[in-house]
Amino acid sequence: MKTAIPRLRGGLTPLVAVLVVLALFPIIGVPRVWLLYLFLFFIYLAMANMWNLLAGYSGLISLCPAAFIGLAGYTMTIMTWLGLPYYVGIIPGAVVAALFAGLISIPVFRMKGIYFAIGTLVVPEILRFVFLLWKPVGGPMDGLGRGYTVQGVADVPMAEIYWLALAVGVASVFLMRAILRSKLGTGLAAIRDNDDTAASSGINVFNLKLYSFVIAAFLTGIAGAVFYIYQGFIEPMSAFSIRWLITIMLATVIGGEATEEGPIAGTIIVVVLYFLLARYANISLIIQGVILVGIMLLAPQGIMGSIRKTRAYRSLSRLATRL
Amino acid sequence: MGILLGGLYAVIALGLSLVFGVVREINIAHGDLVILGSYFGYVAMTAIGIDPILSLIGGIPLLFGLGFIIQKYLLNRAFRISLDATLIIAFGISIILQNTYQLIWTPFPQGLTTSYALESFTFGPVRFPLTYLLNFVVALLVMFFLREFLKRTYLGRAIRAAAQDRKAAHLMGIDTDQVYAYTFAIAAAFAAIAGIFLGLTFPFTPISGMAYLIIALGVVVLGGLGSILGTFIGGIAFGLAQTLGGYFLGVAAQMLVAYIMVLVVLAVIPRGIFGR
Repeated sequence: MKTAIPRLRGGLTPLVAVLVVLALFPIIGVPRVWLLYLFLFFIYLAMANMWNLLAGYSGLISLCPAAFIGLAGYTMTIMTWLGLPYYVGIIPGAVVAALFAGLISIPVFRMKGIYFAIGTLVVPEILRFVFLLWKPVGGPMDGLGRGYTVQGVADVPMAEIYWLALAVGVASVFLMRAILRSKLGTGLAAIRDNDDTAASSGINVFNLKLYSFVIAAFLTGIAGAVFYIYQGFIEPMSAFSIRWLITIMLATVIGGEATEEGPIAGTIIVVVLYFLLARYANISLIIQGVILVGIMLLAPQGIMGSIRKTRAYRSLSRLATRL
Repeated sequence: MGILLGGLYAVIALGLSLVFGVVREINIAHGDLVILGSYFGYVAMTAIGIDPILSLIGGIPLLFGLGFIIQKYLLNRAFRISLDATLIIAFGISIILQNTYQLIWTPFPQGLTTSYALESFTFGPVRFPLTYLLNFVVALLVMFFLREFLKRTYLGRAIRAAAQDRKAAHLMGIDTDQVYAYTFAIAAAFAAIAGIFLGLTFPFTPISGMAYLIIALGVVVLGGLGSILGTFIGGIAFGLAQTLGGYFLGVAAQMLVAYIMVLVVLAVIPRGIFGR
C-alpha cells in the first residue's frame, strides 16, 4: 500500500527555508506567547509521531506514553539535583525511559491487541504511586505531592529551550521518515497487516515490535525531559497523568493514524485548540473528548487520510511527482 | 474483610465482564459509568433526600438508557471501522464523562454518608463495617439475577448466542446490533448498582473511575472471559490482595499492590482461571 502513494519531489529547499525561519524566531523578537505555542507544538509533535509509530505502524495501541515522559522528566530533574546542568540530563532521561520500555515489554508483550492496551494503561498508574511513595532526593520541595523543582533552569532563556524543542520535533519527523523507509518500517507494515503471515515469511515479530517500542520510548522521553526543563517543576500527579495520552492520541487521530503527515497536521490543530480553549479550561477536555469520538466515527483516517482520498489531492500529487 | 470487599469489586467488574464477554470490547468508560451511578445516588440523597439504595429505582433505568444509546449509536458503528476505534471511542467517552462530573460536582471527594454507612458489626475478634457485608450480599444477588436472566429469558439466550458466535446468531435471525445494545445497557445498569455501593463504601472523585476500571479489568481477566463465577472469585482475590497489601505495606501502598497484580495477571494468565 505504501508504494502506491506518490511522493512529493520538490527537493529539500522549501523545507530548509521553513526550518531556518522557525529557528530564527527567537532572535527576530517574536512574541513569547508564540514561542510557547510553537514549543508545545514541537514537543507534542515528537510524542504524536512516536505514538503513531506504535499505534499506526506497529499495531501497538500503547496507552503509556506518560510513563516514558514522567520517567525521563524525573531522571532529568534528579540529575539537576545532583548538580549537573539541565541539558546533561536529557539523554540519560531518555535512556531510562527506553530501558523501562524494555523492562515492561517482558510482561506487556505477552499480551496481544486489546490486552496490550490494558496492560500499558496500568503502567503509568503504577509509576505514579511509586513516585508518590518514593523520595529520590531530599530537599525543600519534598513533601506534599512529592514535587521537585528542576534546579538551575530559572534563568535559562526561552530561546534555548525553544531550540531544543525545535530540534526534537524536527528529529522526530526525520526519524519517522528513516524508519518507514528502512527494513524495520516494511517489517512493521507487514506485522500490522497480518502478523502470522509476517512471522511465516521470516520476520521476527517480537523483535521488531520491541525495537519500535523502545525507540518510541526513547524519543518520547527526550520530548518529556525538554518539556520539564521548560516547566521547571515536576510532580507525580501530572507527570504520569492520562492527559498526556489524551493530547497525543487526539493529535494523531485528528491528523490521521498511519500517515506520515498526520501527526503534523493533528498537532497543529491540537495546539490551536489549546490556544482557543485556554479561557474555557473547564470545558476544554470535554470538547477534546467530543472531537476524539467525532473524528473516530466520521473520519477514522483523520484529516490526512481523508485528504488523500479526495480527487484534488490525487491529481495534485500526480502533478507534483511528474515535475 | 478483603473477601467482603471483593463483593464490591465483583459487582463493579460484572458489567465490564458482560460487555467483554459478549461484545468483545473493552469498555474503558465502565469505571466512569460506575462513578455516574455514585453521583446519581449523591444527587438523590442531597437534593431530594431519598436513600441512595432506593434511588436505584431511578438510577438503573437512567444508566440502562445511557448505555443503550452509547452502544447503539457510537460503539456499534465503531465496530465496523476497527477494534482500535472502539477502544479510542470508549476512551473519548471516558474523557467526556470525567470532565462533565468535574464541571458539575467539583473535583472534591464526595461520599454517600447515610446513617447505616458508618454502622459496623463484630464477627469473632474483628469489627466489620456494615457496608462491606452489604456489598457481599448485593454481589451474590446481582450475580444470581444475571445467571437466571441469561438462562431463562429470550434476550438472555440471544445474548449468549451472540457471545458464542456472532455470525451464527445473526443467521438465526438475531439482530446482533440490538442484542449488543441491550448487553451494554444491562452492563450500565449494573454500573448504577455498583456505583451506589461504591459510594457507600469509599469516597469518590470525578476521576476515581480510572482506578476502579483498572481493578475491574484485573478481576475480569483473572476470572476469565465471560464467566460469572470467575468474576466473583477474581473480585475476592483482588479484595484480599488490596486489604492484605494495605495491612502489610501501609494504606498508601494498597492500590499499588492491586495494580501490580493486574499487570502480573495479564502477563501470566491472560485467559484467566475459568477462561474458555
